[in-house]
Amino acid sequence: MAGSGKTTLMQRIAVHIHNQQLPSYIINLDPAVSSVPYGCNIDIRDTVNYKQVMKEYELGPNGGILTSLNLFATKFDQVMGLIEQKADSLQHIFVDTPGQIEIFTWSASGTIISDMFAFSVPTALIYVVDTPRTTSPVTFMSNMLYACSIMYKFKLPFILVFNKTDVTSADFAIDWMTDYEKFQEAVQDEKAYAGTLSASMGLVLEEFYRNITTVCMSAVTGEGVEDLFDKIARAGEEYANVYRPMLEAK
Amino acid sequence: MRHVQLVMGPAGCGKSTYCHTMYEHGLASKRSFQIVNLDPAAEHFKYPVTVDVRELISLDDVMEELDYGPNGGLVYAFEYLDENLEWLREQLGDSDDDYFIMDCPGQIELYSHVPVMKNLVQALQRWGFMVCGVYVIDSQFIADPGKFISGCLACLSAMVQLEIPHVNVLTKMDLVRKKRSFMEKFYQPDIDELIADLNADSNPAMYKLNQAMGSLLDDYSLVGFLPLNIYDPDSVIFVLSHIDNAIQYG
Repeated sequence: MAGSGKTTLMQRIAVHIHNQQLPSYIINLDPAVSSVPYGCNIDIRDTVNYKQVMKEYELGPNGGILTSLNLFATKFDQVMGLIEQKADSLQHIFVDTPGQIEIFTWSASGTIISDMFAFSVPTALIYVVDTPRTTSPVTFMSNMLYACSIMYKFKLPFILVFNKTDVTSADFAIDWMTDYEKFQEAVQDEKAYAGTLSASMGLVLEEFYRNITTVCMSAVTGEGVEDLFDKIARAGEEYANVYRPMLEAK
Repeated sequence: MRHVQLVMGPAGCGKSTYCHTMYEHGLASKRSFQIVNLDPAAEHFKYPVTVDVRELISLDDVMEELDYGPNGGLVYAFEYLDENLEWLREQLGDSDDDYFIMDCPGQIELYSHVPVMKNLVQALQRWGFMVCGVYVIDSQFIADPGKFISGCLACLSAMVQLEIPHVNVLTKMDLVRKKRSFMEKFYQPDIDELIADLNADSNPAMYKLNQAMGSLLDDYSLVGFLPLNIYDPDSVIFVLSHIDNAIQYG
């Protein structure tokens, strides 16, 4: 999500891999970002000029980002070529996606790019949640539904990151995720129409939580970043055991 | 009674085209639809716009003056609108039988992360509008059961947040004419078949989630899609009649 702190998280990841001497690649796919505060190995902005695309095709900011990404996707085999050359020496590849989440999730190029990764290297999704902004149960629920929607779309191991825990602790979210009744109480306090949905919704959400891993962290202070890397390693195993055979069967 | 259609959906799914189609249809059928642009980032329109949020605030100004990226800028612009809802009220006037179609920005975080859309809807309701959400999804992107679920969840995450009658529209049906029978099963899905299809395509750990998802959709018959082919007048009338029905127009 835009503003959830993806870029700060990437910065933190960059710091971490540097400190731990983990050979990694960082790729920026957001053509509209004004500056990237971390050293990235591949930057979409080197290939596509988003402002130029907007002007040339007379597009709005959204269309501009989408078109830039599409243009980049057509050249993505070269990126994959680079990565495959280095594949043996690299431990991680991190991809920063455009903030307009639907540009990556609801577009052909997003699918092409994620599929290319999924077919050649172990791939997982990291979905970053803006913790201080999800304290309302209804917002929380719609966020989780959206996350679930993304999981269905990409069919890859899924890591949910509650970011900005330095501002608001994510305990409430963990509480809601482990104990659905607490969540239900919270929804009912809001007297929302969504309260009436709760029974089957609860079932869906409980199963969803069972299928994903959660990390609470703060990208600003760096708290929880080790946990993130642990979970990433575990998602890699999950990919090898469960998802890889599925992809091969296709 | 005054009526509003709020047209939502991911970027590039055809929201503006939908508004254009409705506008033309209105001309042909002697109904007056007034189009409201709520996207501060919009560039140009193929139809006359009655109210344009860019007169209040435009994304370019925000990006230039506050040095925000497109995402942060949009959230800021919308929060600004939220604080100046009186402006919108004046612009909408107080005639008694207006029928507005509002073209909303595609950024999903406006619905799920920040409460601005919700405030907007509540304000409209206070001013005596019957509000209907029209969630537009590109039919190209729900070509398999997993993506269909993903689309349903995206719609659902907006539905739980806004609490208004909702109509989900599949656009660009003219492009999938060949696969008509294949698409048809998604309009009003047969849940058991859907679950079976999903299971065939996902790992065993997800079976329970698929099951729960199926019963969620079934219990509330939450999500059905209306196909829209903008080149077929009957299809436009069909969609419009559903929306009119949802907001008790006429």
